[in-house]
Amino acid sequence: MKYALYTGCVSKGGCPELYPASLMVADRLGIELEELHDVGCTGAGVLPQGLSDPINARTFAKAEAMGMPIMTICSTCQGVMTQANHRLTEDPEYREEINRKYLADEGLEYKGTAEIKHLLWVLFEDIGAEKLQAMVQKPLAGLAVSPFYGCYLRRPPEVMTPPGFEKRATYLDDLIKLMGAEFIDIAGKGKCCGFPVLTANEENSLAMAAKHTGEAKEKGADVMVTPCPLCHLNLDGNQPNAEKQVGKEINLPILHLPQFVGLALGMTPSELGLGKHIVSTKVVNAKVEMLS
Amino acid sequence: MEVTFNAYRREPGEAEYRRGVYKLDLPEDATIMDGMLKIRDEEDPNFAFRGSCLRGYCGDCMMSINGKNTFACTAKVANFMNRPEIALRPIRMVPVIKDLVFDWDAFMWNKIKVLNPWIEPQESTDGVRTVPDKVMADLRNAMSCYYCGLCDEGCTVLPVDMKFLGPAALTKAYRLAADPRDKNPGEHLKMAQQAEGIWDCVHCYEASEHCPRNIGPTERIVQLRDMAFEKGITNERVARHHTSFAASVKASGWLDEARLAIESEGLTNISGLMKLLPIAARAAIKGKAPIPYLHHKRPGAKRITEIFEKGDERGK
Ligand code: SF4
Repeated sequence: MKYALYTGCVSKGGCPELYPASLMVADRLGIELEELHDVGCTGAGVLPQGLSDPINARTFAKAEAMGMPIMTICSTCQGVMTQANHRLTEDPEYREEINRKYLADEGLEYKGTAEIKHLLWVLFEDIGAEKLQAMVQKPLAGLAVSPFYGCYLRRPPEVMTPPGFEKRATYLDDLIKLMGAEFIDIAGKGKCCGFPVLTANEENSLAMAAKHTGEAKEKGADVMVTPCPLCHLNLDGNQPNAEKQVGKEINLPILHLPQFVGLALGMTPSELGLGKHIVSTKVVNAKVEMLS
Repeated sequence: MEVTFNAYRREPGEAEYRRGVYKLDLPEDATIMDGMLKIRDEEDPNFAFRGSCLRGYCGDCMMSINGKNTFACTAKVANFMNRPEIALRPIRMVPVIKDLVFDWDAFMWNKIKVLNPWIEPQESTDGVRTVPDKVMADLRNAMSCYYCGLCDEGCTVLPVDMKFLGPAALTKAYRLAADPRDKNPGEHLKMAQQAEGIWDCVHCYEASEHCPRNIGPTERIVQLRDMAFEKGITNERVARHHTSFAASVKASGWLDEARLAIESEGLTNISGLMKLLPIAARAAIKGKAPIPYLHHKRPGAKRITEIFEKGDERGK
């Protein structure tokens, strides 16, 4: 299993703990990675499609030339890329236009065959639940975990969870159970974390962060796990501000997907960079330490 | 078929609601609306709910049935028999007037009204204004919105902020802003950018998932934002954020988050910048703070810059 790794910006910027944790976990799982260096930001839903589609087409062309599927570690990168790829493969004329206008100068061409998979999808679709479970060294018994998907990993469903891939909508729930943890379901798991409106309307953004972390906490979760570092920025990084806004303590640590898997594979909280989070992961560390 | 309806009942002005429990005998293929009409006709003429087309078209009877938000007129009773009682409630967050009748004005119509929902046609000497087929097909799709409000019902932002204009109104804004026949192009785009407008949308695609007409209200908002990106963002903070985002990707191929945070606040906005300090300090202590403007170019950055330059040319 070899993938072209698309790291995205945040795994090396605002959440620098995500990138090394992803590499460690991939290595342990036997996922071979060749990092895409010479590629651009997906646009993250901020850049207009007129700019982001060519940038993404360029990334796809490069991976296609390498003969590897792309692996992402960010729900937002995954969503924006999947949507762009959908447009580029559905409409060959559009793809040709982008090839001609933007990629030809560089001698690149996107033929429309790229496959783009989030690490979460790779775990279930390429490694498989059985093999994954067999690799668990430390079942996370007693750790109460809520999922948080990030909007872009599940919607729009026609594109993200198309016929044949409906199970993608619950992979994170399944993973929590598979790693031996206690699954705490929350109504907000597929909602928006609030990050996209942090600039335009901070109050709403923090209200959303407080709502989802608060819900998990109330239902008894020790920790939340997310495959999206942008959600992590808002749910973890802005949790102190969200607490201030709603006037109550939440104190819910948020793990990145590979950190959560890494713990079950027997890696330590400090190896996985849990110390870099804004909300202390003390509860998690203590519970994991007790397991042996 | 024996069923029990448990309906939300509340008199105008009363703070408390009560549950009206009704045992009904209905045919196998009855809809929820059939049951409600039967209650009103045979048991309690005072039971209030809305309904107009009774064929799943107008959206007037939208309500929560066993927690699922849908139209009472098309919902088959047989599909809701998984509980001993079928719970009928107003959709979340709406101001209730009486029983299941809620205030559509507050929920949606007032938000459409503030967008001046009409176009003023350009003058033309022969009275004919043509629209290219492709543009018309796209407009026609947006025009097929029947204001059922299901997209607003699914919206992620409205539960935290009822002032948000919401996807239904903003879909209307798209339909107006994208119409080439309008005398003042740009006017509706500007209106869509008012406070609580397109920039407050989190583009989570919930609205599109809820739309029964395949209009893609989320995509419409994204299209409006793309239009604004090209023609001028009129919301100051958002403009700073987007300009900084684009400049960073243009220059280095990827995003410099620390620079983005600072430039979004505005370089002369001292109190805004001060606000960032605790965030930066918390991040620095944890060893996760990126240092602004010290951000390396990715290889191939030149190519990304070229894509931006070509994109700019195309826009002209
Ligand atoms: S956009 Fe779709 S869901 Fe929203 S009001 Fe119109 S028809 Fe209903």
